[in-house]
Amino acid sequence: MLQLKEISKIYGEGETRVKALDKISLDVETGSFVAVMGPSGSGKSTFLNIIGGLDRPTGGEVMLDGQRIDDLDENKLVDVRRGKIAYVFQQYHLLPSLTALENVLLPLVFCGAGKEDEGRADEILNKVGLGKRAGHKPGQLSGGEQQRVAIARALVGRPTLILADEPTGNMDRKTGNEIMKLFVQLHKEGHGIIMVTHDPEIAGYAGTTVFLEDGRIVRKTNKKASRTRKNVNKN
Amino acid sequence: MKLYQVVLKDVIRRKRRVLYATLGVIIGTATVVGILTVANAGQARIYNQLEKYGPNLAVIPAINSMDMKLGDVKLGMLAVGENYVSEEKLPQIRQIADGEIRKALKIDDEGNIATIAPNLFVDTKIKDTSVVVVGIDPAEEMKIKTWWKVGQGKYLEGSDQALAGSVAAELLNLKVGDVVGLDGTNVTVTGILEETGSNDDYQVFVPLATLQKASGREGLVSSVDIRALCNACPVEIIADGINKEIPGVRAVAVKQIAASEMGMMDKISKFMLTLGGITLAVGLFGVVNTMMTSVNERIKDIGIMRAVGASRSQIVKAFIYEAIIIGIIGGILGYILGTLLAYIAGPLIFEGTTVVYVPLYLGLALGLAIIVAVVATVYPAYRATQIKVADSFRSL
Repeated sequence: MLQLKEISKIYGEGETRVKALDKISLDVETGSFVAVMGPSGSGKSTFLNIIGGLDRPTGGEVMLDGQRIDDLDENKLVDVRRGKIAYVFQQYHLLPSLTALENVLLPLVFCGAGKEDEGRADEILNKVGLGKRAGHKPGQLSGGEQQRVAIARALVGRPTLILADEPTGNMDRKTGNEIMKLFVQLHKEGHGIIMVTHDPEIAGYAGTTVFLEDGRIVRKTNKKASRTRKNVNKN
Repeated sequence: MKLYQVVLKDVIRRKRRVLYATLGVIIGTATVVGILTVANAGQARIYNQLEKYGPNLAVIPAINSMDMKLGDVKLGMLAVGENYVSEEKLPQIRQIADGEIRKALKIDDEGNIATIAPNLFVDTKIKDTSVVVVGIDPAEEMKIKTWWKVGQGKYLEGSDQALAGSVAAELLNLKVGDVVGLDGTNVTVTGILEETGSNDDYQVFVPLATLQKASGREGLVSSVDIRALCNACPVEIIADGINKEIPGVRAVAVKQIAASEMGMMDKISKFMLTLGGITLAVGLFGVVNTMMTSVNERIKDIGIMRAVGASRSQIVKAFIYEAIIIGIIGGILGYILGTLLAYIAGPLIFEGTTVVYVPLYLGLALGLAIIVAVVATVYPAYRATQIKVADSFRSL
């Protein structure tokens, strides 16, 4: 479903040049659950932003379902964001003026969805366990609850791929594990998930874990096969 | 849920900020409304003052000139028609004048509206000196010639009395209390007018009926002066109506005064509009500034909206909606503030002016405020769309 071909991202110029990503190649199959791990500054977030078209690579190609998306113009990228890809952020990024339900509805506001779709928002909010708090604003919700709203918002557009950037980064372990159980459930239901984290326990929920260091993939582990392939990038 | 509802909820949450952004619009609109309201009051006052400068319609006998010819020999001109207007036509003149004014002002008042002052001019002799004696309706005449001041004695109160113009009194050596013969009728001089600088100084005024009787011109007047009491009185229409309906007379609108009124107001309006335009431009920059701040404050929100599928044009739309909300609030508050300012400043600028609020300006204020807010938002909104979604989160 997702193919990355020698993706590079370079910030700055001349002396201050920083290579955030250095010719990364990766194939992600439809419906897989991938964790991206690495120390701070290893390029995890940049990697995720480029996959989702929030940022553009300085080199390489990003193919989504056979369509090259890294060189799309803004208007076409909007279509990608509305259909195939959805985000879950560490900071939740909910609009503070809207209730939980309204935040879930927000993507539908922009793609001009009808009433039936709006009915689904309630359903999804129930599914993430927040049906009773639909009328609360983000400020009245705990971190875990806000993240559930954010996940519900990601689901409302029926994405094939959910990109999550440290989704449990702001939570205690118990809450984090509950959120992860939700992700596992979504994975079972067929959503592809790519999740950035620095927490090995959280990464353990994923089927595949990719390790990034200095902008390169240094290791890739597959849970089911329990197989480790070192330095894929150098092959 | 619609985009405008999202914007509205956000505006409600940030109400203090939005109100602050609205300040520029409020000040700009308030100035324009204030200026216009004061100008409006001043205009009314100028009209009132100008109205004191006499009649704005004159009805005179219709006289046509005819070339007299016998074969190819010209025999000169002959005036055809009456030299006088019959007094019987006065009610008809009043009916037309009042009727048109009622139509123009949309009122149903039954009473007399226009001032209608008949004059009879008779060239006669007092103390063996040639003088023009004018028969007047004392009450109506005073309403038209508001500048008349009786220097000595009293104004005309009854029949067989005379009021002398200042020069006439000096030349004829008239004093209050003198009894003079007027074509065989004795009249008492009751008063002498102060100098007016007009023809009135050379004339002697007596009640119409007295002069008609003395000169044997019963039921006749030379001309009728009409003054409509309002700004918007349809002088031309009244004149047309009289010309069409009443044979033998010619009604002429006194255009000179109307033209000078218009010229004066035109200059005042232009000056005021220039001033208002400058204020609005200053207000515009204020709004651009606050909207830029608003964009910077909401980089994160814009990023969120982009990340969940908002297109650039939808971000612009969201800002335009916010501008319209700012415009509506700014327009209403600006109208109220501007009107209050006018009530305070009006009497200071045009002495003794009563300022009246103009409901029509609320529409104008709303329109102006919305236009200013939207125009001021275009550039900040464009800037907002140029923000990279990834950068908007990274900066936090």
